[in-house]
Amino acid sequence: MLKYIISLFILAVSFNGISQTKDTITYKAPYGLRLGIDISKPIMGMIDSNSSGIEFVADYRISKNWYVAAEFGNQKERTVEDYTTSTAKGNFIKIGFNYNAYQNWLDMNNEIYVGLRYATSIFDQTVDSYRINTGSDYFVSNTTTSSTTTRDLNAHWTEFVMGIKVETFKNLYLGFSFNYKIMLSLKHPENFKTLYVPGFNRVFETETGFGFNYTISYTIPFVNK
Amino acid sequence: MNKNILYIFLFACIFSACEKDDICLLPTTPKLILRFYDSTNPTEFKSVTNLSIWAEGKDTIPNYKSVSLDSIAIPLNTNTTQTVYHFKTSATGNKADNKYNTFTLSYTTEEIYVSRSCGLKAFFNTVTITSDNGWFQSFTPNSLTTINNETSAHVKIYH
Repeated sequence: MLKYIISLFILAVSFNGISQTKDTITYKAPYGLRLGIDISKPIMGMIDSNSSGIEFVADYRISKNWYVAAEFGNQKERTVEDYTTSTAKGNFIKIGFNYNAYQNWLDMNNEIYVGLRYATSIFDQTVDSYRINTGSDYFVSNTTTSSTTTRDLNAHWTEFVMGIKVETFKNLYLGFSFNYKIMLSLKHPENFKTLYVPGFNRVFETETGFGFNYTISYTIPFVNK
Repeated sequence: MNKNILYIFLFACIFSACEKDDICLLPTTPKLILRFYDSTNPTEFKSVTNLSIWAEGKDTIPNYKSVSLDSIAIPLNTNTTQTVYHFKTSATGNKADNKYNTFTLSYTTEEIYVSRSCGLKAFFNTVTITSDNGWFQSFTPNSLTTINNETSAHVKIYH
């Protein structure tokens, strides 16, 4: 039995030695600036008349598994609730990094990644209409249409990102990512609340949020390493 | 290592997904709370028999249609600065024994934001109360700085 193990071991070592001397093709991976657009936002805008926006994505590969990543864009969203209707409108930017946890085969350049972002948004919020919640239906309150706009509200938050990117054609990537956001600071209008922040989406009671994007992006290769 | 990161991330997402701001559970616009006392023995509650309540120009409040109670909560109109209520009682239930009282409240409303699902509520400030003292002997107080909660009776009525 021991004999077999020893001979197997020697065999393995010798094969290993052979493979090391013969198969030394290294695959070069492109390093460059990848630019893209979120295609879910224009589609959502067509389906849902209360929503319109655009988001651009960019990342830059800095090492084998690490990318510096950013998203930026603008969003206008009308939030219709039982007693209030309000519109948030503004710009956002998110900056951070992605770590590719996927081990590629040969010359493939796909990614399953996790990432972290710092994000900020500056936006206006308009109260379009509201009515008093009377707590009873004996007196029905009138709906007051207003257009009280609070300008230059801001929000800061962090995002945990998880996503995939698949190279479909040379340097052209399709991606999907999902993110979970935790608010760091948020300004509210006076006697109202910020219900939606561009880039953050709906602000939940616990000041957390969710988001996703579908992206098409293209890598402008600078170097192959 | 990489797998662990993914799992932690997934768990964080799943467990934080329960949100409670879709249902309004917070107090909204307070109702006016009235308690009825015995005019001959002012520390004792005294039920009103066959009490019906309606606001000027409106139907009887469904909850207060020929009921016998010593404590009631009635809404105030947030669209106006005055609400006029009519109180009807009948000791026997016969129409001939009907007694009426008009109770008028004047106030200013203050709008206060509550939450996403609750919207805005109103507080009633500088409330002045008048009564034609039909079957109410007296009431107290006749003015209130604010009605902003439902924790205790706002007005005591003696009859």
